Amino acid sequence: MKVPYVDFSGQYAAERGGLLRELDRVMGQGEYILGRDVEDFEKKFARLCRVRHAVGVANATDALTLALKAVGVRPGDEVITAPNSFIASAGAIAQAGAIPVFVDVKPDQLMDPSKLQRALTRRTKAILPVHLTGKVCDMEAIVRFARRRKLKVVEDAAQAVGALRGGRAAGSFGDAACFSFHPLKNLNAAGDAGAVVTNDAAVAEKLRLLRNHGLVSRNEVAFWGYNSRLDTLQAAILGYRLKGLAGVTAARRRNAAAYRKGLAGVVECPSDEKGSRDAYHLFVIQADRRDDLRAFLKARGISTAVHYPTPIHLQPAARSLGGKAGDFPECERQSRRILSLPIHQYLQPRQLAHVIASIKEFYR
Amino acid sequence: MKTAADKPFLKVRYSYLERQFAEIDPILEQIRALVKSGDFTLGKPVVEFEERFASLLGAKYGVGVGSGTDALFLSLKALGIGPGDEVITAANTFVATAGAIETTGAKVVFVDCDEKSVIDVSKIEAAVTPRTKALLPVHWAGQPAAMPKIMELAGRLGLPVVEDACQAIDAAIDGKRCGTFGISGGFSLHPLKNLNVWGDGGVIITDSEKTRDTLRLLRNHGMSTRDTYAFYAFNSRLDSLQAVVGNHLIKDTQWITDTRIKNAQRLDAALSKLTGKVTLSPRSPRERHVYHLYQFFVEDRDALLAFLKARGVDAKVHYPVPLPFQPASKHLGHKPGDFPVTESQARRTITLPVHQHLTEAELAHMIFCVEDFYS
Repeated sequence: MKVPYVDFSGQYAAERGGLLRELDRVMGQGEYILGRDVEDFEKKFARLCRVRHAVGVANATDALTLALKAVGVRPGDEVITAPNSFIASAGAIAQAGAIPVFVDVKPDQLMDPSKLQRALTRRTKAILPVHLTGKVCDMEAIVRFARRRKLKVVEDAAQAVGALRGGRAAGSFGDAACFSFHPLKNLNAAGDAGAVVTNDAAVAEKLRLLRNHGLVSRNEVAFWGYNSRLDTLQAAILGYRLKGLAGVTAARRRNAAAYRKGLAGVVECPSDEKGSRDAYHLFVIQADRRDDLRAFLKARGISTAVHYPTPIHLQPAARSLGGKAGDFPECERQSRRILSLPIHQYLQPRQLAHVIASIKEFYR
Repeated sequence: MKTAADKPFLKVRYSYLERQFAEIDPILEQIRALVKSGDFTLGKPVVEFEERFASLLGAKYGVGVGSGTDALFLSLKALGIGPGDEVITAANTFVATAGAIETTGAKVVFVDCDEKSVIDVSKIEAAVTPRTKALLPVHWAGQPAAMPKIMELAGRLGLPVVEDACQAIDAAIDGKRCGTFGISGGFSLHPLKNLNVWGDGGVIITDSEKTRDTLRLLRNHGMSTRDTYAFYAFNSRLDSLQAVVGNHLIKDTQWITDTRIKNAQRLDAALSKLTGKVTLSPRSPRERHVYHLYQFFVEDRDALLAFLKARGVDAKVHYPVPLPFQPASKHLGHKPGDFPVTESQARRTITLPVHQHLTEAELAHMIFCVEDFYS
């Protein structure tokens, strides 16, 4: 039995008709840059994140770079983040002209707030926690630490659309938060797309200028900015899919619960705390003999992935920062054990059962 | 007597996207296949488009990116340009040219334009300093900059050249396409460009394999493989979906360009008769101006603009305030008189719709309105 890691044909079958009708409508308007569909989506998305403002941008990497700039990060500043994220978290810090400083993670893969103090220097300007896999970081502790030291907090919520922690939405804790609508995300566009959310009207205004050449009006340039706009077409697709997001999250959470139950005592599964709603962009188990397990599953038609095998501080890109093996033991230990199982909303019960049975068979 | 006011209902719009995409079904059909395949990020349609675009312009390689702005920004990054460097460009360009320079951390150095609204080559050398790292000429409105002279100067000064060809798809000098003179050329596929997609998109052409490889890393997080990142970079990819649209339209590029040129010649023939009232830029038979914009100059610009607008003609001004005098340029300390030609043109410039979907009636109406204003 085949269990694909992603299933676009499942999504297509579910949306067939509706989605193309939406494209036809938008293209018929002749408005392809910003405009009403972008504004509509921004309003709805801000409501979902329970914040005042959302600003659509070209992708989540740009969302991070522009958000860091908008909250006041300048060249030479340091920004603290996690070393086990996708490259874009650190890349965005570097592109804002700042220096990424890493802190280790907890067993749940999220930033360890107790490590922040040791990473702090006079140049620290902001903290960029990553809600990896769709689980919200310990934001109470991180924000408390930041506020005491007048640091900004920008949430990397690229994988956490629709997630909650203690009843609060991912993206509503920091000074700004960044989301991805990449085709592989829970809420996905048909290409690159992203957004920044914030409660700060001045930050939102700065972002609107940064994403559109610094143009206050057609003929006035306030400062040199970027071109990083959420395409009108993608905004229309996102507006259409937003209606189905609660269902997507619920389906992924059901799949996660099934894995947790079926794999109890076999491998380490992510926990699900009361009062939180993890979005399960990824379902990452931590397993002995990971690579063998992966090959074993592959032979049984099950596609898996590793997010990510090489921590950022050990990448060639980070060489100038002097990262070395042993710097972040928990992150490095996990990098050898983590495995992402298929978790998407189109998984069938028999596919889930096949994954569970195969993993059990491997460890028998 | 018939006056323009007798036909107030003939609207001549600047945008033509509804007309262009009236036959949308073939594109939707291809998008249907794309959605089904899920090949959304740097997929097969992007590779196809890059090859077609490069071969259309006679370049070796094409690299699809997020926008025309990023095409310039990443071209500069590929040259290693950053804080402390200076890049020379034209003073009469769109904000993105200067924005691309400044957001690398380098300083933009403006040079005045000439009567063709492209950088005045005779003024470049005076702007060069030890910090100058590149020249960034702009093929403004679709009019080629004087590339043979610029390349000769750049060769003498030892400076690389990046061409801002965002408005100049298929423009050429003696048959050699704009974008193929320098180390790389940046193009925009913005919805209002001659070759357009359904949102932001851009492409860079180059003959250098090394530049191509660097650009491919720069646009995609510096990823040399899924799990190895050579350096911290950007996310600036041409969407597969937009490449599908581009692949569909690129077949029409020749027709689009030829039609715009024909429309411009029609306008030229009529407006050149208004001697003393209307100034046209000099046209050269050796240069293929592709008329992304149809621009001319008049003394009473604001009055003509209002007159045309009242008669349904969507005339525009590109742009009333040159970049050196924008709030964003405050740190450069320019004062009126620094760029006499640019400043004079900014006061007098006006542009008319020239797109490939204009009807004969619309062209005649525009000409009639301008003639009427001066009668």
